Amino acid sequence: MAVLKQTFFAVALAALTTVACSGGDGGGTTTPPAGSPPPTGSAPPPGSPPPPVSSATMLETSDEVARLLLQGSFGGDIEIIQSMVGTDATTWVSDEFRKPCTRFIQDVFAMRDSDGDLSGRPYSDLYWDTLMTADDQLCQRMAFALSQILVISDNALGGDQLAVAHYQDILIRNALGNYRELLSEVTYSPAMAKFLTYFRNRKSDPRRGRMPDENYARELLQLFTIGVVELNMDGTSRLGPLGAEIETFDNTDITGLARVFTGLAYIGDGFRDNSNPDREFQPLQMYDEEHSELDKVFLGTTIPAGTGGDESIERALDAIFDHPNVPPFIARQLIQRFTASNPSPGYVERVATAFANGSYEAPNGVAFGDNRRGDLQATIAAILLDTEALQAANATSELDGKIREPVLKFLQWVRAFNVTGIDADSEGRLRDTSRTNDRLAQHPFRAPSVFNFYRPGFQAPGTESGDAGLTTPEFQIINEGSSLGYINFMTDFVFDRTGGSDDPERYLPDYATEIALANNAQALVAHLNLLLTGNAMTENEISAVENAVSALTISDEDRDLRQRVIVAITLIVSGPAYAVLR
Amino acid sequence: MTHMTRRDFLSGSAASFAGGAGVLGLLNQNKAWAADTAGYKALVCVFLFGGMDHADTVFPFDEPSYDILDDVRGGLLNNYSGDASRDRDNLLPINPNNSAAFGTRRFALSPQMPELHSLFESGELAIVGNVGPLIEPTNRQSFDERSVELPPRLFSHNDQQSTWMALGVEGSRLGWGGQFADAAIASDATANALFTSISTNGSTVFLAGNSSQAFAASTRGGGLDLNITQQRFLLGGNSRFDPQRAAIEAYYDTSDFGAAGTMRRDFNRAISGGIANIRSFNEASDNIVPFTTTFPDSNLGGQLQLVAETIEARDALQVSRQVFFVGIGGFDTHSNQADRLPGLQTQISQAIGAFRNAMVERGLWNDVTLFTASDFGRTTIDNGDGTDHGWGGHHFVTGGSVTGRRILGDIPTADITSSNYTRTSGRLIPSVSVEQYAATLGSWFGLNNDELLAALPNLTRFSNSNLGFV
Repeated sequence: MAVLKQTFFAVALAALTTVACSGGDGGGTTTPPAGSPPPTGSAPPPGSPPPPVSSATMLETSDEVARLLLQGSFGGDIEIIQSMVGTDATTWVSDEFRKPCTRFIQDVFAMRDSDGDLSGRPYSDLYWDTLMTADDQLCQRMAFALSQILVISDNALGGDQLAVAHYQDILIRNALGNYRELLSEVTYSPAMAKFLTYFRNRKSDPRRGRMPDENYARELLQLFTIGVVELNMDGTSRLGPLGAEIETFDNTDITGLARVFTGLAYIGDGFRDNSNPDREFQPLQMYDEEHSELDKVFLGTTIPAGTGGDESIERALDAIFDHPNVPPFIARQLIQRFTASNPSPGYVERVATAFANGSYEAPNGVAFGDNRRGDLQATIAAILLDTEALQAANATSELDGKIREPVLKFLQWVRAFNVTGIDADSEGRLRDTSRTNDRLAQHPFRAPSVFNFYRPGFQAPGTESGDAGLTTPEFQIINEGSSLGYINFMTDFVFDRTGGSDDPERYLPDYATEIALANNAQALVAHLNLLLTGNAMTENEISAVENAVSALTISDEDRDLRQRVIVAITLIVSGPAYAVLR
Repeated sequence: MTHMTRRDFLSGSAASFAGGAGVLGLLNQNKAWAADTAGYKALVCVFLFGGMDHADTVFPFDEPSYDILDDVRGGLLNNYSGDASRDRDNLLPINPNNSAAFGTRRFALSPQMPELHSLFESGELAIVGNVGPLIEPTNRQSFDERSVELPPRLFSHNDQQSTWMALGVEGSRLGWGGQFADAAIASDATANALFTSISTNGSTVFLAGNSSQAFAASTRGGGLDLNITQQRFLLGGNSRFDPQRAAIEAYYDTSDFGAAGTMRRDFNRAISGGIANIRSFNEASDNIVPFTTTFPDSNLGGQLQLVAETIEARDALQVSRQVFFVGIGGFDTHSNQADRLPGLQTQISQAIGAFRNAMVERGLWNDVTLFTASDFGRTTIDNGDGTDHGWGGHHFVTGGSVTGRRILGDIPTADITSSNYTRTSGRLIPSVSVEQYAATLGSWFGLNNDELLAALPNLTRFSNSNLGFV
């Protein structure tokens, strides 16, 4: 069995396919200085001079590089950090946009048995493998971020593995594309239709009193596009004349919109047809005989009676997407996934403007986006290159950035120490990391509900941040059990206790650089401080880790130097500087 | 009346408390009173995430009323078969002591709830009909005309969960469970604030108070600790590793590494405090005598077992009042309701039945009141194979002190044209507010009137602040 798995894994990795991202190709276009010839293409031709370096986005120190990599990727090793000193963050973003997004859906398909079924959860294993190994880190970070806004959970889709894999592929393909197109693909995806129960949703039947399922209509508005109260462009609530928030919709909008999402079922010959072997990973088909022929009235829009199903969906999504809430609502949540748990209104407005205009101009003049509303390249460039994200913050700064979610913290360890033997299929600890007391309290595509693991507006009771009114979403999954669960989970990996006795080469970290420093506690901790936190540890934390390193006197050199390293790493990845990105 | 002692008044006077404003006025003259914390009492909130379909849980049983339901919901009811069949003769009829209040109408429970059925019949369980969030008394006309103040964001999961727990939309900061715990803590100098409110379902605003900070208990039981220092093989068993073990413990003991940012400080405290809290919880609960009652091997069974074990450890935990939060999900039955709901109902009934037996086993049942709560009820009209978000719903209250075998409030018929329902899809307009439900529980728990009013600001808008079920 182990041999089979290993052989299979080798094949699967070899087959990891890359396909160019869909969507805008605006990344890397340079706004020409006045009087210069027009640009010839989106990417600078080979041999052309690099874009001018701006002091605002210049990565002057290794701290700043480490920080950018924590914000925009799943982390880097010490060589990458050092090699990027003196470059421009804009260049890194442009380079990421040129990388094809790594897809693995073909590998999932290839694992089907002769009946077309899958055993285990290969899409989950391949997702882990991809996050750890893929070169297109920004694309994967964005897809992961989107998976926490356009939420499906495989907890509720146990029998629909191919549909989940297809959904993951939709997010990856569109991660650097356009949010409006993403909404269409999501709406027609079998996974979302089943998760939010509009799969085979039927028009109303006045004779039997049956009404269309309202689930997707509500969550599409509340969670995926506009939210519950009207927003200013900076993400703050618009207030009515009496100072009250203004709700964006009421239940009549929901019952009206629910009529739009009727009539969708698998591709095939009829509403109940289950025979097409590709049905789980093809867009749903509209069966107009089951689609509501009534008028659809919502948010001030009326789709006239008798409009067909596909047209109704497109018109509804267009109308919703034009709502002024969409840019700030999505911008603020995306910022929270990358750089700041509690972004300032100004920051939200700048990113929302990039989303709305589909364009963003970096401080050095490089332009991103294709000028269409919802462009995600412009949006993420605006997030990462904003002064609020890039401004230098040191260990004594009052400013906090983002509380990092547990999955990001785990993946950074994998990438910081060039872990080899990556194969989630062989590692039981990765099967379900949503468990609280011995895992991460978070697993990709496995939130408890469409409300994700935590809410964007969460303010933690009994904390300084909560008292100050700061939103700290990730704090919602921090409690006694999850604190210990996370530390113990990380301890197993850091100590290389993963893999079985027949399979000792799994998740093997390379600590050679660290072991070479381990005779000197100060040097070791200084190195790890940069590598793991971008030099964010306080003097007190540095001392506490140094104490734990030097508390072990060296007697058996091979064993003890390594133990010094793994103890230091375990402590640092448990601590506040690793958890909270400034 | 004025000669009653405070304890007499609070513990034995459901009927007189139910007198409403006049009694509240009397209590207002005695602001020095504080929560009664003599003996031991526990409130257990069982939250059914997603919105429990009340109409598929408590059924009309007399033929005319059953036929109305069958008419409105025939499609959905026909999806049930076998043990889960909703045929009238497969339901579990109940015989409330106050049946006269309902004329010829009769009621029954889902066939998946035999344990709750027998608790009802034995007088240990009451049903509170049509409870939901309200700011002030509301009927169909005032709802249609918006002539009353309504709870914001009705029908929205997260907001109505928050409204049930904390009387405001998502983002609210103080739950009524936490404020009940606050009152107990303020009145008992020896109370351990940490273990006064306990969640077996992670963070919850229900238990957020000013002094109450919910401890998140682990369903995996004792033994959860820092592996790096507690599992000796990890660093090495030899005593030469002990100094390193001590230095590691010192790192995790440090609740403030001097970081400047609030989030870093909060995280720092959460980790070191979390480890310390788990250790003191484990220490206190390590020595309890195991129950002979067997709990079902289910999510809710495991959580209620942990609650029972925690109650058993109350002396070591140094608490005389506790508020527990327990929760399971899966109730958002937009589709496949006939496949999904019966299993959840079995889980609820078996777990609560076992919890009751465990409490009886230790003579604690009179000191515990367990109640259900949920985002909302669901639409009476179905969507083919499920139901959508509603408002009011029916709930269960059980415990040795509960005045059981009664239905409080009403279980309206499924006639959705009646004024009990909103005009679309048959969403029940609540006739009992969450704050009335909470106030009844709170006065049993020992809160005085000021404390109740502080936690339940709209209570005075309702004529009856104690429903008398406990």
